[in-house]
Amino acid sequence: MTSADVSPRARAHPQLVPLWRGLVVYRVVTLVAALVNAARFAGEWARPALGVAVVAVMVAWTAVSSVRYLRRGDAGTAVADLVITALATASTLLVDTPDRVAQGGSVITTVWSAGPVLAMAIALGWRGGLLGAVVTVGVLFGVRRALDGDLLFDAQLLLIAGLAVGLAADTMRRSVEQLRAAAAREAATAERERLARDIHDGVLQVLALVRRRGDELARTSTPHDTAPGLELARLAGEQEVALRRLITSAPPTPGPDGTVDLSSRLAGVLPAHASLAVPAAPVLLPATVVDELAAVVREGAGNAAAHAGADAGLWVLVEDDPAAVTVSLRDDGVGIPDGRLDEAVAEGHLGVAGSMRGRVDALGGTITLQTGPGEGTEWEIVVPRSSARSGRKP
Amino acid sequence: MTVRVMVVDDHPIWREGVARDLAEREVDVVATAPDGAAAVRIAKAVRPDVVLMDLQLPELSGAQATERIRTALPDTRVLVLSASTEHGDVIEAVRAGASGYLVKSAGMDELVDAITRTAAGQAVFSPGLAGLVLGEYRRRETEAPDAPQLTPRETEVLRLVAKGLTARAIAARLTLSHRTVENHVQNSLRKLQLTNRVELTRYAIERGLDADG
Repeated sequence: MTSADVSPRARAHPQLVPLWRGLVVYRVVTLVAALVNAARFAGEWARPALGVAVVAVMVAWTAVSSVRYLRRGDAGTAVADLVITALATASTLLVDTPDRVAQGGSVITTVWSAGPVLAMAIALGWRGGLLGAVVTVGVLFGVRRALDGDLLFDAQLLLIAGLAVGLAADTMRRSVEQLRAAAAREAATAERERLARDIHDGVLQVLALVRRRGDELARTSTPHDTAPGLELARLAGEQEVALRRLITSAPPTPGPDGTVDLSSRLAGVLPAHASLAVPAAPVLLPATVVDELAAVVREGAGNAAAHAGADAGLWVLVEDDPAAVTVSLRDDGVGIPDGRLDEAVAEGHLGVAGSMRGRVDALGGTITLQTGPGEGTEWEIVVPRSSARSGRKP
Repeated sequence: MTVRVMVVDDHPIWREGVARDLAEREVDVVATAPDGAAAVRIAKAVRPDVVLMDLQLPELSGAQATERIRTALPDTRVLVLSASTEHGDVIEAVRAGASGYLVKSAGMDELVDAITRTAAGQAVFSPGLAGLVLGEYRRRETEAPDAPQLTPRETEVLRLVAKGLTARAIAARLTLSHRTVENHVQNSLRKLQLTNRVELTRYAIERGLDADG
């Protein structure tokens, strides 16, 4: 045997160490039982010298395998354990007299023989435990050659132990993986918050200051509109808003039940000068519904940018009711003349009307438009929560 | 009458910058404070008309400082001026007694106008704040049904504020007076600030008297 490898890579599942420790304790205690058994019956054995040799091998293998289980906990040692223990148990046929075996005397390995079943279960999960139990019971049957109550009882115990320990090992492996994933998520969130804090404390403050300083420059110089400060102020202000949205918007990963916050999604879709009014709590909807609503708002905003006029403002309001989510989108531009949208549909340009209405219809929602020349446009999109939950047409 | 203002912010560049700009516009900056605890202490000594309050402060948060200042000095009004988009912080400050909220990117004209209106006892409502207040009442409907709710008219007004309409435009659209629109907005804030039975009763009596008169 080579000495155990103790490099960090060698132990793939440190969380299983308590199970391995338990196994080693079991192995040592049952070895003592086997020694007592050997001391008591060695006089009645057919080949006492061979019996002593087998017991010596058991002692040596218990020491070697225990060290390997504690340091490495590898499947190779567990399989080797299963084979060596099976051979030791089978040697009962040579060591003991056929009479004693036939009368149901204990095998030379006694309960020590159950060790590899547990080892296989810990190393390879419930399948390993099952395989270990079947092999061990098979060897016991080969030695006894009788399906008596004792054997059936042993078989039951070995199967239960192998499956139970195997399932426990599987669960521990999985839960640690989940824990590790959660820790990674938490670290990412913490880092994000740290960045947000730094940006908030530094860059945002300076941008806001530049914006105000620029305004002041523009106010005191003439002509007002072309003052260099005005452009500077506008750019700084837009960047401040964009950056603030960036650091506060939630990561785009879906929540545990596949829902996403509509508010932070819309923040990413809207131009920096737009105003976004939302409730303090996240507005959670299925990711597909949020995608569609974001697309509708993007189109509405794009339309406003294209037609409302350069100075038009854009406001979006999100309201979250138990029954429905309402998104209102308003610009104060030139508005759409009566019938212009219907004309566009008639001419085959689906554009705004088709695409926005189509998406909202598919969500089982309603979309209304209030507009007129010089009045700006005001869309109101209502998506019922019941159909939003399934994300399908009712 | 010049308005006496105190500027609370933990960033020295910003704090001094705002104080200087306000002074140039003939706003009387009577004090500045770098943290929440100092803000409460200094406010009690100088009794400003308006406190410009940042939200993310060391020692005491902006909301906590707002609550203590409003309790000690009922005539001093608090205007939140913050780069914070922590929506919960803003609502907390409003519940603690702040009478308005402005983001730091607001222009100087806007800020001076807001200070003047705050000093006059009006609510300073941005569309963003209107959205938050609407959301807060919706939350209450399910979680605290006994707390005062918005009237349908107040809801209508807040929704229009959130959609960017000015008080004048709202008044025109709903055929109300400018003053009535302001009252609706202010009431929606006041009801959020009522926390105990005594305040609720007093509010109910006042409303009853208003309705009779």
